Amino acid sequence: MEADLVAEPILKVEGIHTFIGKHHVLQGVSFDVYPGRVTVLLGRNGAGKTTTLRSIMGLLSPSQGIILLRNQAIQNMRSFDIARLGIGFVPEDRGLFNLLTVEENFRVAMFQEDKSTQQRLETILEIFPDLKRFWKAKAGILSGGQKQMLAIARPLVNNNELLLIDEPSKGLAPIVIDHLIDAIQKLQKQTMIILVEQNFYMASSLGNDFYIFDDGRTVHKGQMEELVANEEMKKRYLGISG
Amino acid sequence: MNKDSLNPVQRFRLKEKEGRFRSPYFFLKVLLLAFFVFTPYLFHSFQIVDVVLKIIIFSTLVASYDIILGYTGIVSLGHVMYFGIGSYFVGIFMGKLGLISYGYLALAILIAVLISGVLSVLIGFFSLRIRAIFFAMVTLAFMEFTFILASQLRFITGGDDGISFNLPGIMAIGYRLGRFLGIEFTGRMTNYYLILLVSLILFLLMVRFVHSPVGRVLQSIRDNEQRSVALGYRTYLFQVMASSFASCVAAMTGGCYAIWVCYVSPSSSLSVSIMLDVLLMVIVGGMGTLYGGILGAAFLMITGAFLPKLQVLVAALLPGVPFAVRLSERWLFYFGLLFILIVYFFPKGMVGTAQEIISRRKGE
Amino acid sequence: MNPKSRQWLPKSAVIAIFLLPLLLISPKTYVTLTISGIAMGMLLFLVASGFSLIFGFLSVLNLAHGALFAWGAYISFSAFSFINQWTGWGGSNSIFSNILIFLLALVAAGIGVAILGVVTERLVIRPVYGSHLFQIFITVGAMTVMEELIRIVWGPNDEPMPVPVSFIGSWDIFDVVVSKYPLIAIVIGLILYLIVFTILRRTRLGMIVRAGVENPEMVQVMGHNIYRYFTGVFAAGSALAAIGGGMWATFVKSINPAMGGEVIVFALIVAIIGGLGSMTGSVVGALMVGLSYNYVAYLIPKGALGITMLLLVIILSIRPTGLFPEGT
Repeated sequence: MEADLVAEPILKVEGIHTFIGKHHVLQGVSFDVYPGRVTVLLGRNGAGKTTTLRSIMGLLSPSQGIILLRNQAIQNMRSFDIARLGIGFVPEDRGLFNLLTVEENFRVAMFQEDKSTQQRLETILEIFPDLKRFWKAKAGILSGGQKQMLAIARPLVNNNELLLIDEPSKGLAPIVIDHLIDAIQKLQKQTMIILVEQNFYMASSLGNDFYIFDDGRTVHKGQMEELVANEEMKKRYLGISG
Repeated sequence: MNKDSLNPVQRFRLKEKEGRFRSPYFFLKVLLLAFFVFTPYLFHSFQIVDVVLKIIIFSTLVASYDIILGYTGIVSLGHVMYFGIGSYFVGIFMGKLGLISYGYLALAILIAVLISGVLSVLIGFFSLRIRAIFFAMVTLAFMEFTFILASQLRFITGGDDGISFNLPGIMAIGYRLGRFLGIEFTGRMTNYYLILLVSLILFLLMVRFVHSPVGRVLQSIRDNEQRSVALGYRTYLFQVMASSFASCVAAMTGGCYAIWVCYVSPSSSLSVSIMLDVLLMVIVGGMGTLYGGILGAAFLMITGAFLPKLQVLVAALLPGVPFAVRLSERWLFYFGLLFILIVYFFPKGMVGTAQEIISRRKGE
Repeated sequence: MNPKSRQWLPKSAVIAIFLLPLLLISPKTYVTLTISGIAMGMLLFLVASGFSLIFGFLSVLNLAHGALFAWGAYISFSAFSFINQWTGWGGSNSIFSNILIFLLALVAAGIGVAILGVVTERLVIRPVYGSHLFQIFITVGAMTVMEELIRIVWGPNDEPMPVPVSFIGSWDIFDVVVSKYPLIAIVIGLILYLIVFTILRRTRLGMIVRAGVENPEMVQVMGHNIYRYFTGVFAAGSALAAIGGGMWATFVKSINPAMGGEVIVFALIVAIIGGLGSMTGSVVGALMVGLSYNYVAYLIPKGALGITMLLLVIILSIRPTGLFPEGT
């Protein structure tokens, strides 16, 4: 653990300000993501977590600030170029192509359809066996939990080193959430994950580092264990008591 | 009313009302009106009077379209249909049916207005619930349909050739009222002032409508429909209301147009190209600014009258190579290019951009 | 509406249109009309599908689509005349030469307008992505410019469209009059439909396009340069319209600069009825409009356009977004 903290962060986000129309949504967001760790972004609704992910992904252009991926500035790059650098994105609404089959959903996600991608696909299908079963079915007919699995599994076919996941537990039953946590824990070994999550149980099971967002700013950071123990912070920023 | 006892909204409205007569814009408007009134005296050329009156008529039409487009935020591509209905009823009553009298003229216009209102309500109920873009296409389809209807039903509408007709009493072209302040008052002159008066009334009505509580609700719907719904307004009733008001105005304008040219035909009153002209005028003038319509109409009418002359001049200078001649002949081509550039650089239209610049300066 | 009814409505509508007229028209005339109806449907499909695909994928309302259609007609006109001058294939009696020159003219139209489409997308459409209102404005301007350009290059008058010799006339099969050209149009239309269908359903490119119709943002996030696809789809849609233009011109045997305007309304109605963004919808809608138009034109000559509007009204009342959802 100690050794990891000394290592360089792969992703550095510094002083990001983002506007959506006239709204100054992000007013100074900074955080670092270290290899081999799950970084959780916490905070109330509207605090700016999703906007942050979208800014990293290039869907929104920050007006100020820097985003460095391995020391390469990506804050002004276009989304598809950012994706090709090895960042995968799982949006809040999952972003599935409901009219396409599960197979086609994977294929669209692939950067190239070559052997190594195929091999990765097989590994993924072992972690998510349901997807193999529904391989030729249209993504729209999957259950909520399966859809979430597909949404997370898709970007993994490429050798992505960073995965951005936005509120995966939304609308899922507790037992499905457990499944999801299981799957993500298996993934964590190869991929860095930035997780935005309202469900504290999920956040605390998976997260190593956390950052708390309030009013478009990052206001606190630390290790997950500290947060779990800190009732006052949980209540103040997350509205959780007990 | 004691000023201190007013709530903020009332105070704002009062200030607005008081400011109205003192603002510099007011004098500009009075000046413009004076110009229109005295045009026949200032310009003895009939062509210029004709262009000016067409500017007046189309300004009103464009303003009515602006109510739907700029103030309510609905994209309709079939507005000219109501204009055509107004023209055609006048034409049919005066021409085909030969019922030339003031009474029948008024009746024709009244029927046209009623039909337009009802039609727009029907179309509104039917298509405002679907995506906005569908509404645009559906209204376009309906207008085209009416156009083809007008060309096919020869026995009522005179087909593609249209209907030429005469007007009753003092409005008839040949009628002479005698000299008045230096010019010969023919039926044409009477019509000029009649149409000017009607257009003025319609324009003022529209301004009132836009500043009325209903108008404000419409603007709030345009700006943020979801919020308006959340606030409890049946947005789509308001939209239908605005749409039918605007169509009635358009029908009246159509009637005026028919009175002026004493002729109706599908291509002169119902065609898509007129609709495109109106679109152009709205863009050039600016959406959401009723007065922008005047600028837009002026721009189009003047260039329409002026450019062909310019083109003849240019053609005379160029060698007689057919391609080169045609290149200079098709002024509409350059117009189209100019139009694209205007949309590009002045998305708010001329009046709109001017307003923005002025308000920005005021802010500083 | 529940999923089951989603499926039977369009099918029953088409069947109804196909079969009802049999009650009123003699079988022999019925066959002739059906063939012209399907042919007209094919041509409408070519124009409507381009529009629908562009709207579905780019979310762009391209009112200049009709002008691209006209350009297609004019390019195939020139190509045909040019090739004929050199080879005389158009005037010869050999069916093969006729078909060859015809296809070449259409291909020329397709390629020419595809290029025009790329230029248009880059210059005119890109700046107004996201605002349907400004798309309407700017494409109207583009339409004016394109139409005027036709008048400048080719002249403002109507021109007769040359038709290959063996396409004229009809066959008499068991007392049924079967016009030659409509059949050819149907065959070509079907082939084009199959090509588009195969590309969309069986290639990676088509898959990405279908994904983009559903969610363009997500496609970008997956590393695909969506702007290149936009240009490509726009060019393809325009090319389809152009081929439709060339075929339409041969059908009515004349071309005029304003021909886009006449057809675009029908194409618009077809696209709306079928459902914007749906290929299947374009086919079904086109068939419905083409067939109903021909049947009614025979029974009540002036009522043909009315039936099209009626169809629009009926379908929009039951299914406001059109028969098929986006992306099918």
